[in-house]
Amino acid sequence: MYLCRMKIIDISTGEKHSVEILPVEIDEFKTLRKDRYFFDWKIEKNQEVYKLQIKGSSDILGLVSIERISQEWRIHIRLLTVSKENKGNEKKYDKIAGNLIAYVAKIAIREYGELACVSLRPKSQIAQHYIDRYNMNITGITLSIEVPGIINLINFYDND
Amino acid sequence: MTENKKNIMDVEYGIDSRYKSNKERESDATALMEARLMRMKNLSKDQITKAKLLQLKLKMEEYIKIPVYDNHNYFSDFLKLYIDSIYSKRSTFAKDIDVAPVSLSQVINNHREPKEEFIMKLMIHSEKVYKNVCEFHKITWYQVYFHEKICDTMSNQEQWRPEIEKHIRISEAI
Repeated sequence: MYLCRMKIIDISTGEKHSVEILPVEIDEFKTLRKDRYFFDWKIEKNQEVYKLQIKGSSDILGLVSIERISQEWRIHIRLLTVSKENKGNEKKYDKIAGNLIAYVAKIAIREYGELACVSLRPKSQIAQHYIDRYNMNITGITLSIEVPGIINLINFYDND
Repeated sequence: MTENKKNIMDVEYGIDSRYKSNKERESDATALMEARLMRMKNLSKDQITKAKLLQLKLKMEEYIKIPVYDNHNYFSDFLKLYIDSIYSKRSTFAKDIDVAPVSLSQVINNHREPKEEFIMKLMIHSEKVYKNVCEFHKITWYQVYFHEKICDTMSNQEQWRPEIEKHIRISEAI
C-alpha cells in the first residue's frame, strides 16, 4: 500500500517501520490510560483524534487531537502525545510526534491548499524545540507552520 | 535534574494546546492571522503552485481510498485542477502533451472519455511536474480514472443491470 509512506525508527536497531495513522474509534477511548498517554483522552472523544500504529500492530504509539478552524484555513493541534515508553532519552521509537504533526499538515494542505496552516501552543520552555525541529513560526505564544515550511515537513516525513 | 532540564529532555512526550477561553482563542486568532497575511504576501508563484499541486495529489489519494457513490466527475475535475494549477491557458497544456485543444476540452467537460494514450501522456507529464514538488505515484491518474468507473458502474446498477442481465445465462452446472 503506497498511500502511507510514513515511518518511525527503532532507535536500538535503526530499523524503519511503516506506520498508519487512523481515527480513534469511540470504543478505544476507554483504553487510552493517562499513565501511558499522559492526558485524559476520554474528554477528547467528541474531537477529531488520530492514533499512530506500526502497520499490522494494534498498539497505539502516539495520539493527536485536532480542531479544524476552516474560516482561518487552519488546523489547531489540541493535544499531542507519544506513549510513555517513547518519551525522553530511553524512548524505543523516534519520529512519532513528527509523523503525527506531518499527518495533520497533510490534512491542512488537502483542505486549504496554499493557505494551509497548522498551529499549536507548547509551553514556553519547549517552544524552541518545535521551532528548531519543525521550522515553525512564532506569533506570541502560538507556533505555526505554513507554506512553504509545511510542504517541506510533509515531504520529510511522507516519503519512501 | 531540575524540572526545566527534564522538560526540555522530554519535549516530545506531549503538548496540551487547548484554548482555555474564547478570549484566548480570539486574541490568538487575530494575532496569528495578521502574521500569516504578512508572510503570505512574500510567497512566490512557484511556492503557491507547489502547494496547489500537493493539495491535488492529497485529494486524489483520499478519493481512491474509499468508494464514492455520487454524480461528481472526479477525473475531469482533478484534471482541471491540475492544468489550472500550472498553466494560464489550457491550450498550452494541450500543446505540451500533443493533443488537440478541442479533444482536451471534451475530456474536461465530460463530452468524451479520455483515450488510454491521453492518460499515458498525463502520467508522464505529472511525473515530470511533480519531480520538484513531492512524491507522486505514476499510477495515480489511472487509479482515479478506474476508481470512478467502478464506483459509477456499481452505483448505477439499477439502470444497466435489467437489460444486461437478460443476456446472461449459466449453461454449465456448477
